[in-house]
Amino acid sequence: MTRHWSPLAAAMLGLLFLIGCATMVEMGTTAGYEAGVITKQEKEYYDRRALETESAVRPMNDREEYYVGRAVAATVLGSYRLYQDDRLTRYVNEVGQAVALSSDRPLTYRGYHFAVLDSDEVNALACPGGTILITRGMINRARNEEELAAILAHEVAHVNHKDGVNAIQRSRWVQAAASLGADAARQLGRGELDELASLFEGSVGDVVKTLVVNGYSRTQELAADRSAMIFMARVGYDPNALTDYLGRLAKEQGAGAHEGFFATHPGMAARLTEAQAFVSANNRWQRVNHQLRDQRFAAYRR
Amino acid sequence: MRGKCWLIVVGLVLVASVAMAASVKVVTQQAAIRQDKRFFAPVVATVPYGGVMQTLAREGDWLRVQYGGAQGWIHVSAVEEQKLELSSLMKAKARETSQDEVALAGKGFTPEVEKAFRAKNPQMKYDLVDRIETYRVPQEDLQVFVKDGWLREPGGAS
Repeated sequence: MTRHWSPLAAAMLGLLFLIGCATMVEMGTTAGYEAGVITKQEKEYYDRRALETESAVRPMNDREEYYVGRAVAATVLGSYRLYQDDRLTRYVNEVGQAVALSSDRPLTYRGYHFAVLDSDEVNALACPGGTILITRGMINRARNEEELAAILAHEVAHVNHKDGVNAIQRSRWVQAAASLGADAARQLGRGELDELASLFEGSVGDVVKTLVVNGYSRTQELAADRSAMIFMARVGYDPNALTDYLGRLAKEQGAGAHEGFFATHPGMAARLTEAQAFVSANNRWQRVNHQLRDQRFAAYRR
Repeated sequence: MRGKCWLIVVGLVLVASVAMAASVKVVTQQAAIRQDKRFFAPVVATVPYGGVMQTLAREGDWLRVQYGGAQGWIHVSAVEEQKLELSSLMKAKARETSQDEVALAGKGFTPEVEKAFRAKNPQMKYDLVDRIETYRVPQEDLQVFVKDGWLREPGGAS
């Protein structure tokens, strides 16, 4: 005969399910079983459900995101040459670190790294985990350090929001994270490792396709613009530089530019309007004097 | 009688919650514990991936932690709440739990998966990715860069 849970106990278990902690559910059911309140079958049922609930929703962790990001970068670097200029690379990394450390997710598995791609095309790509690639063409269109910071802060925001890994088809991730039984996973067999490698390859493909072909959604771009301006303001860069830069890109797009960045970022004019509205709503963001930074930017610009 | 049993259950769960909230695990490859809650504060200890530490207090996005003999501040983005800590509370279960831990470690996208993927795709430019990951700005240099540019120290005030 099945015994009934007291309302309080049921509420507690429900809460534990909600917060997704299988270990705590198991503690509760063990105590319940030992006290004779629930049967062994009931205990097993609740334990299993808790574990399933937890594994079904397990988000990708920082280290997994890092490995996806490495593969994404390794793919993109198959189509671009790395620009080997130590001084410029160092400067881009200094500006990038200043905004990354001011972001909502300043630390990732192996941190943020910024690399320059040897291309006149306008483009910047954020690989999951924090490797950010920016073309010479994109840097050359910046008029000052504030604008370079704006581009990098926007890419850092995509990493903060996990937009890259969110492009991975959910079914792939669910399979990768939970398909292997607990017994089988103790020592991965050849077949299981191959299956995981295929799921990994598919996931990397999803991210690359979004970064290089489809682009993010308009909502994701707007969110990244807003976060970028907030990160910039925190460290002391002028957030207005983002709209200055976007304004010039919108003009180029209006004049017919359609490669790289322009292909994956349609509707720049509308995006500019939204970003400007965000600046107006934050009228504490006065124009700041950035003469010292302008000078050092000029020294790095070719 | 049943009411008493459930009081015990609820009590156990509460104890467990406190124990869980009181320790965190490092999710980055390495994490620095700093003397003060600022990114430019001196490092008092470095904790490897998976390292567990006790939390003593929280201020904004910084946690005051104890790791071995060292005490200091760590940024919340480098850690997650520790869940498997419970195994020590349930000694009889400890062995089983540690096996679960191994099982979980075998799933998802691990270094072994990257290795298998690279073996299948030897043309991938991992050498360049490795080089990019060596681009680091030493803390002292970044401090000078921020100061010279009249910027604010990142992660300081909030």
